[in-house]
Amino acid sequence: MHTIRRNGARAPWSTRVGVTGGVLGLLLTTAACGGDDGGAAADGGATREDGPVTMRMSWWGSDTRHAATQELIDLYESQNEGVTIEGDFTGFADYWDRLATSTAGGDAPCLMQQDTRYVREYADRGALLDLTPYIEDGTIDTSDLDQNVAETGAVEDATYAIPTGVNAFSVVIDPAAYAAAGVEVPDGESWTWDEMVDTAAQVTQATGGQVYGMQAMGLNGGDTNFEVYAREQGEALFDENGEIGFTAETLADWWAIEKEASETAAEPPPSTTVEVFNGGVDQALVATGRGASGFWWTNELPALTAGAGTELEFRQFPTTEGDGETGMYLKPAMFWAISSDCESPQEAAMLLDWLINSEDAVNIIKADRGLPVNTELREQIAPTLDAPGQAAVAFVEEITPGLQEPPALPPQGAGEVQAILQRYTEQILFDQISVEDAAEQFITEVESAIA
Amino acid sequence: MSSTLDVPPRERSHGEAPGGASRAASRARRRRSGRLTPYLFLAPWFAGLLFITAGPIAASAYLSFTDYSLIGAPEWIGLDNFQRMFDDPRFYQSLKVTFIYVVVSVPLQLAFALFLAMILDRGLRGLALYRSVYYLPSLIGGSVAIAILWRQIFGSDGLLNGVLRFVGFENPPGWVSDPDYALGTLIILNVWTFGAPMVIFLAGLRQIPTMYYEAASLDGAGKVRQFIQVTLPLLSPIIFFNLVLQTINAFQTFTQAFIVSGGTGGPADSTLFYTLYLYQRGFGNFDMGYASALAWFLLLIVGGLTAINFIAAKYWVFYGD
Repeated sequence: MHTIRRNGARAPWSTRVGVTGGVLGLLLTTAACGGDDGGAAADGGATREDGPVTMRMSWWGSDTRHAATQELIDLYESQNEGVTIEGDFTGFADYWDRLATSTAGGDAPCLMQQDTRYVREYADRGALLDLTPYIEDGTIDTSDLDQNVAETGAVEDATYAIPTGVNAFSVVIDPAAYAAAGVEVPDGESWTWDEMVDTAAQVTQATGGQVYGMQAMGLNGGDTNFEVYAREQGEALFDENGEIGFTAETLADWWAIEKEASETAAEPPPSTTVEVFNGGVDQALVATGRGASGFWWTNELPALTAGAGTELEFRQFPTTEGDGETGMYLKPAMFWAISSDCESPQEAAMLLDWLINSEDAVNIIKADRGLPVNTELREQIAPTLDAPGQAAVAFVEEITPGLQEPPALPPQGAGEVQAILQRYTEQILFDQISVEDAAEQFITEVESAIA
Repeated sequence: MSSTLDVPPRERSHGEAPGGASRAASRARRRRSGRLTPYLFLAPWFAGLLFITAGPIAASAYLSFTDYSLIGAPEWIGLDNFQRMFDDPRFYQSLKVTFIYVVVSVPLQLAFALFLAMILDRGLRGLALYRSVYYLPSLIGGSVAIAILWRQIFGSDGLLNGVLRFVGFENPPGWVSDPDYALGTLIILNVWTFGAPMVIFLAGLRQIPTMYYEAASLDGAGKVRQFIQVTLPLLSPIIFFNLVLQTINAFQTFTQAFIVSGGTGGPADSTLFYTLYLYQRGFGNFDMGYASALAWFLLLIVGGLTAINFIAAKYWVFYGD
């Protein structure tokens, strides 16, 4: 460019070349994606007898969980000479991008935290190790595990994942917020969906919008929220064959509740709802004193309470009839699974067993990965939990007798359901689509996702 | 770049001093050896292109014809991925969002950049400072930190709405959480990163010989007339350069949308940029084959538009020869 200025006549050529070259370079950067195949599964594998073993272990979670898990790793290493564990952690959303990419690169972590939505995604493609031999030879002891969920990591004859703990998706309310608004605190035994929305609308009205009665149903945990609703109607999100298990009418009915809540200001205006959702648990309405109720996992109560500063309580899901027969179930909070690429599966299985069955480990992690799946240890640590943790234990114990069986592992593609549901919920809230059309389109989209 | 700009602006030499035969020979020698130098400077870039970029490009070309879940081996399916796009409503939505973004934000950004370049070109005191200050957003505008900051400022209870409420607006919208405004907010974010084209405009403006303005003003042309008949034609190669570059950049926008919408392209897909959708399919939905096909389709779109740009340039870009 220097040249152009000195002499107007000769320069343009170089400008032209510069422009073309720069553009070409930029163009080429547009299309670059890649990956290669994962390796084959190892069988026997390296153990500490063969020399020092190094394994990677991955999980998602909050800072509290990262700190506790690091403590677990340190303790395990100090108790097991020759074993080194590299921790690898992120938030939930990034975790899956990362796990998929590292698996594609043949570099999956040996021991990985898994979620119901993704177990089959990985297992069906041969990325997870069948743990049956390790269970049969006693390396992984499943005898003390909560029988409600012990089998939830199984696909046909194989077991690909072991639950870390249990939790339940339930309603969290702030009784003080109802009281301050002069609205009767819902009892949870017999409330109906209509009553939930009505009382919530009253709270909003009584406080002039300072406190909203409830938080939207379709965003955080929306897929589970709808699943519970569908199960209450005798349907399911996915049936045991991994097919869609609900009708468009049921989904439209559920969305109609959300729409009603939005229109009666039981929940905040849509754009606030979107922002609150993006803020995660920390920005939950009940955690920031801006809401009287919301749908949360039982293991999220400590985090919610920390923000709220008041005592929060659990309630069962409302029902259509008011008969207390909800579709709630105990969910394996998360799983441990072993990669089929792992070079030391025996060592990974021993670590897995230690994480769920050793008193030392459970004393450190407590209820962070759900109420411990080992029922003896669960009872043992219950008194040592803080107040919200104890409330979660009590609530789970109280409702367990009336709960339904947990659903089978959902099919491949189930990880997309929440995002699809969220998108249609937003479109409904912003008046871009009717609940009926949304339900039809949702089914079409989910069908293609799990195809 | 900065050394170019620091050359005193308004001194133009007219022709070179005549030299003897020996001088001409030495100049020719220098020119020959000088031909290699640019390639030497380009070498690292080419090495990177070959070893880091070319491999993935070739791989993605192959993957675009396969069903590839990231886990497990790719399976050849021919053109299915490309056919699938035409039945995919979110593909159309992402095209729509991206085109609106490009068509609105690029001209706005360039106009703004040119406007400020012209103000700065009038020989302000502390020019270097202004130049740096205005250039800063270009450097940091695509960063995660700025996107997060943006989300705070434009939130329902953010800084902007605080000001709006203070001056009497009752119910200002959530600028990034309402589908009617979210894309607009990202467009403003892009316009705000006008620094890079501005610096290039500034350099271009200084290449326009003052004598043209003197001649024009002797002929009685006012400021506006001078702008239209002198500045614009002589600056047109620079405008063209910026236009092409910023268009390509805008098509590749990712970070801002990813952070502001939490990776969803929401609310309600209103900020579902093409690259974001591509990313979702590839890394979120175990659909890397389709994502690769999307990437190649984007290359076609951007390549096609750039070609059109170059063809159109024949009719409006004035190279002075």
